[in-house]
Amino acid sequence: MKNRREALKIIGAVGVTCAFPFSANELYGQHVSPEPMAAGQAVAPGAPFTPGFFTAIEFQVVSCLADLIIPSTETPGAVAAGVPEYVDLVVTHDQKLQRIFREGIPNLDAVSQSRFARAGFLELTEAQQVEILTSLQDAAEQKRIAREVVVGGDAAFFNALKSLIADGYYTSRVGLLQELGYNGNDYLAAFPEFRIAEH
Amino acid sequence: MAKNPVGKNAVFDVCIVGSGAGGGTLAAHLAHRGVKVAVVEGGPVVNTRTDFNTHALPSDYPNRHIPTMKDGKYGYGSERARGVGGKTMLWNAVALRFSQRDFKGYTIDGAGADWPIDYLDMAPYYERIEREVGVCGNHDGLTDLPDGIFLKPPPLKRGDLLLQRGGKKIGIPIIHTRKATLTRANHTRPACHYCGNCMAGCDVAAKYNSADVHLNPAMKTGRLTVFSDSIVREVMVSKENRATGVRYFHRVTGEEGEIHARAVAVACACIQSVGLLLMSVSSLYPQGLANSSGQLGRNFIPHFNSGVTGFLTEMIGQPVVNDEGFIDHAYLPSYMHAQTRDYARSFGVQVYTGISRTTGWAREVPGFGVAYKQRVKERFPAYVTFQCFGEMLANAQSFIQLDPIAKDEFGLPRVKATAVQGENEHKIYDAMTKAAVDLLQESGGEVLSVSDFKVPTFNHQLGGCSMGSDPRSSVVDKYCRTHDVPNLYVVDGSVFPSSSEKNPTLTIMALAARTADHLGDRLRKGDV
Repeated sequence: MKNRREALKIIGAVGVTCAFPFSANELYGQHVSPEPMAAGQAVAPGAPFTPGFFTAIEFQVVSCLADLIIPSTETPGAVAAGVPEYVDLVVTHDQKLQRIFREGIPNLDAVSQSRFARAGFLELTEAQQVEILTSLQDAAEQKRIAREVVVGGDAAFFNALKSLIADGYYTSRVGLLQELGYNGNDYLAAFPEFRIAEH
Repeated sequence: MAKNPVGKNAVFDVCIVGSGAGGGTLAAHLAHRGVKVAVVEGGPVVNTRTDFNTHALPSDYPNRHIPTMKDGKYGYGSERARGVGGKTMLWNAVALRFSQRDFKGYTIDGAGADWPIDYLDMAPYYERIEREVGVCGNHDGLTDLPDGIFLKPPPLKRGDLLLQRGGKKIGIPIIHTRKATLTRANHTRPACHYCGNCMAGCDVAAKYNSADVHLNPAMKTGRLTVFSDSIVREVMVSKENRATGVRYFHRVTGEEGEIHARAVAVACACIQSVGLLLMSVSSLYPQGLANSSGQLGRNFIPHFNSGVTGFLTEMIGQPVVNDEGFIDHAYLPSYMHAQTRDYARSFGVQVYTGISRTTGWAREVPGFGVAYKQRVKERFPAYVTFQCFGEMLANAQSFIQLDPIAKDEFGLPRVKATAVQGENEHKIYDAMTKAAVDLLQESGGEVLSVSDFKVPTFNHQLGGCSMGSDPRSSVVDKYCRTHDVPNLYVVDGSVFPSSSEKNPTLTIMALAARTADHLGDRLRKGDV
């Protein structure tokens, strides 16, 4: 038998704390503000919003990145699901993330200038934005494959960005109910019987 | 459950500190035997039907963090569980019998510790508890996981069946899990309706909790008094070496009080029970009550976890079916005792398939953009988590102690628990992680993430008041009575001399029922 460990292909990460499907108060979104909050304080997407951490321009960049990572398709994308507001809320309460974003966003503008001779990331075409985001993703992917600890730079920025946007989107009503089609949390008179082929 | 319905001078037969699986079971069994019982609980009365955010979705909160309790309710979700019912309010209800191999680990494996009791001592009490609380499961006929008195289990999910089929190819068994959740209504509680909120306070009490199943019915005997919001700071002991009761203060008002009893049982969950005994110093016991052996707090042996996540290929892109169920329906039981292996003891794995509100895995799925969004959507019904539990061997670096400096919000010393994994734990960790990966791959799956031994997580706190026959090397005897003080008992996971890999709560309840028989007999004979 071939050594399975050698052959093991892992799509995601080694060493992450697994998101056990516990339905208590943990791990819905893995970045959580330590402060408990009352229900219903969320800002409606599209409503006037003053970010707690980001400047107005930075918030536009985050919004642009959010829709690049989870675009609108047959279902709404990250911006329409209120994800940028979620990202701002989490970063406002997390100094480590603040450092990553305060380094990462200006870097986007710097790369926009050096690679495409444009003043900032928001002035690029979508294809150019995707190209930059792809190079950030490649940096993160190299670190992941090498199992290196990521402390800063492009890889840290991409990981933080994607994690926050994925968490925010797939815990939103749009993401969980509309996009994924989650239909649990319901009353069933009986649990369904399943059958599979015996082979 | 009035706060203080009797005068401070009332004398009870038994005073029990804590109201969870251990304290709740002991209290009810004693009260039904005619014993006058006081239960002293640090938290408030909580109602599982109304007090928890049972049906909330993460999107109800801007930070996607669902508070355990409803606004203004105290008890859970903070540093420790405080409330009548203890941690049974939020447990996942996995209810497994230990086997003879668990009780005699040292004899069989040459590692770990033997219990001073056998499976046959415990079997009648397992049966009594199963009949009383309702446990669902399948009769699997396994040596390492004895069958019990079972209600019909809910069907396995589609993902469980795929894993069961894959496991057959490599000799890894997948069975129905066994849970203290009603799958058929009884005369007081409805059947489970599979909403998936077991660990957020089951709001119909189909899942066992000690308040609804043990304490509230026992109140009808007229012999049980529950002192809620009463935090015990000391177990009192007389010069004649008898426990005389407890000293407590009210959680809100701070008012001090004493409760006197002919016997005292400490049942406030492993770490806190050890902490309370360590705090109860006197001239007779300067190193902590019932600690003449110096063993109190030693032998801390929590379960350690590894985790593997991934997707079942056959379910990728399939239509979403509401198969959330009562969370995990399948279990990978200990199967390795008969196999050649390079470690002692064993592991078991809780298997989670089906849809879930927990979508933290999506961030690990590669890519971004339309393709990424599609990839996550397709994988939603196919997601699998394996939560592996290993048995830890005791070592000198793992123990519970009082923090010499730090105090909690009430000014009591903080209790610190330290667990250090050794070589055998490392081997079990690798073996159980590999078993989960192998099973997933044999079942046609892709691995998303694998946890790392360097980032250990612990679950099920056990040990610290180890049970044994030798007073020099253990804290309690086979009836959970302390060797040092003949009318002082400890009835929770702290008494486990070895932890097995199996979830401990059913064994805690069976021990409590056994202790109730023993203590009830002693009280009747006037021996206490």
